[in-house]
Amino acid sequence: MPSIGLRYCGGCNPQIDRSKVIRKLEEGLKERGMKLDLTTNRKSTVDIILLINGCIHACLEEEYLREGDSPQFITIKGEMVESQYVKEEHIPECLIKKIVDLLNSPSH
Amino acid sequence: MMNGKEYIDSLRDLNLEVYFFGQKIKSIVDEPMFQPHIHTAAMTYELAHDPEYEQIMTASSHLTGERINRFTHIHHSIDDLVKKVRMMRLLGQKTGTCFQRCVGLDGLNAVYVTTYDIDQKHGTNYHERFKDYLLEVQKNDWMPSGAMTDARGDRSLRPSKQKHPDTYLHIKERLEDGIIVSGMKAHITGAINSHEIITMPTRTMGEEDRDFALSFAIPADAKGVTYIFSRQTNDTRRLDGVLDGGNPKYGIVGGEAIIVFKDVFVPWERVFMAGEYDFTNELVETFAGYHRSNYGGCKVGLADVVIGGSNWIADAHGINNASHIIDKLTEMIAMAETCWSCTLACSYEGYRTPSGAYHIHPLLANVTKLNITRMVYEWMRLAQDIAGGKIITLPSEKDLESPETMEILTECFTGKEGVSPRDIIKMLRLIENMSVGAGLPEAMHGAGSPAAQKIMIARRSGIDRKMELAKIIAGIHKDKYFEEIIGKDETAHWDEVKKKIKGKKVQIY
Repeated sequence: MPSIGLRYCGGCNPQIDRSKVIRKLEEGLKERGMKLDLTTNRKSTVDIILLINGCIHACLEEEYLREGDSPQFITIKGEMVESQYVKEEHIPECLIKKIVDLLNSPSH
Repeated sequence: MMNGKEYIDSLRDLNLEVYFFGQKIKSIVDEPMFQPHIHTAAMTYELAHDPEYEQIMTASSHLTGERINRFTHIHHSIDDLVKKVRMMRLLGQKTGTCFQRCVGLDGLNAVYVTTYDIDQKHGTNYHERFKDYLLEVQKNDWMPSGAMTDARGDRSLRPSKQKHPDTYLHIKERLEDGIIVSGMKAHITGAINSHEIITMPTRTMGEEDRDFALSFAIPADAKGVTYIFSRQTNDTRRLDGVLDGGNPKYGIVGGEAIIVFKDVFVPWERVFMAGEYDFTNELVETFAGYHRSNYGGCKVGLADVVIGGSNWIADAHGINNASHIIDKLTEMIAMAETCWSCTLACSYEGYRTPSGAYHIHPLLANVTKLNITRMVYEWMRLAQDIAGGKIITLPSEKDLESPETMEILTECFTGKEGVSPRDIIKMLRLIENMSVGAGLPEAMHGAGSPAAQKIMIARRSGIDRKMELAKIIAGIHKDKYFEEIIGKDETAHWDEVKKKIKGKKVQIY
């Protein structure tokens, strides 16, 4: 089963409800019949890492270097997913699309 | 990169149509009323060549990798944003006034960010055009003025509904090779001593205002562009001598002007928005964010000067050890450093935009500027308090030099042993210039009036989330962490507590 590592920022002053976004993501994946292991265990080997930053400053991006052989990343930055502005309620849907694209990419 | 003198010489190549005091000005560079503003802008060029400041004053172009003046740079990291405000404070310290060039810098960055987003949505080609223009700016080390504020006419009417359409800059005609524009921009800083003009809309536009959703760049001396230079407090003192001006080298505020555009042709390659009204809000807010954060840099640089001047004058009068003086100076320093903290926070909390350029934290930028609209008045009030009533009753330089009055005035302005009375007057004039003049309303209205900041603060505060926080703590909504801590459901917990209280047990747990 493909796995996604969840990494939360410290959450000092989030612009979005991070846990709600992930809850809705899980529901959306379930509705589409997609079986994925979402884990916060940092020791697990995962296929994709989801950086869940509460705001556009995106503290987590400073921590995670994007190296060629490291897992693939998707970054939420407040009401942004990667470099696209997305309203909070549409973030889960946007994430599902990106997860599908990454899992289907030739490099995977 | 040009140095200060080369910048001034480069202005001689321009042929601007400027009016001031009912006259057309023949030479901008040689006009004594304009020279202080030109010297101040020249400082942004000069310091870039000093090894002591080049780390802040220069940057590496993301387009060419070459060393450029930071005033032409697109911020590409948090470090860039931090260095930007350090540069603002430095220049405030070196000039004691507005050095003008930050408006163009913020215009360059705001247009860079917004054109990228316009292209993503509309499939236009503005961003590439703008990058070509930016290359020219960096290569020539140009100073563009940032022309945002329109005359605006009746504020209750949208731009397209104004009786006089020229109160807002707008497209009159769309041609195959460009556009024809008319209108006016008001109180534009550094306009008469800039090489270029970058225009931006002044407000959010609707569909009916499509022709007013406009951004472009033209040479400052483009055909059809005229300038009417504005007055500043005590400006004609510059013509009376050296001393009375207060800051004769660098003047007061930024040397603002009205720019009139009459049927000006702009080629398409220099048009960066032409009708995309749905991006006017982004351009205005992005520019305002950059610009409002600057104020915690430049005005704090000015505060450094006026705090130093206040301490010097207290010392010259023999009162610098008085507890009330120390208290006032400490207040001034604390306020200035509070504003500095705000502006550093804007940069450190900045973020990467889809274009790759970095933007400051918009909420904090508006808070910074709102603090400036209040605290500049407060620290300048304390400077006036320390300096004393003399700042508004000083005699003229001519009387100081007149044989009939020189001796008595020298005696009158004597301070502590060893301090020259003329130096005391110089410092009092500087404090007068900085604390009584146009610098105060400039701190209030420059980069937008306080109401504009409050609108942005209210819009971006996330007050719904704050309500949720309060509801959880008040017990209106579930507190999952509290339940984890007590190891049970909150309602059950309070029922138990109530029972224990009823039983009047002192040790309720």
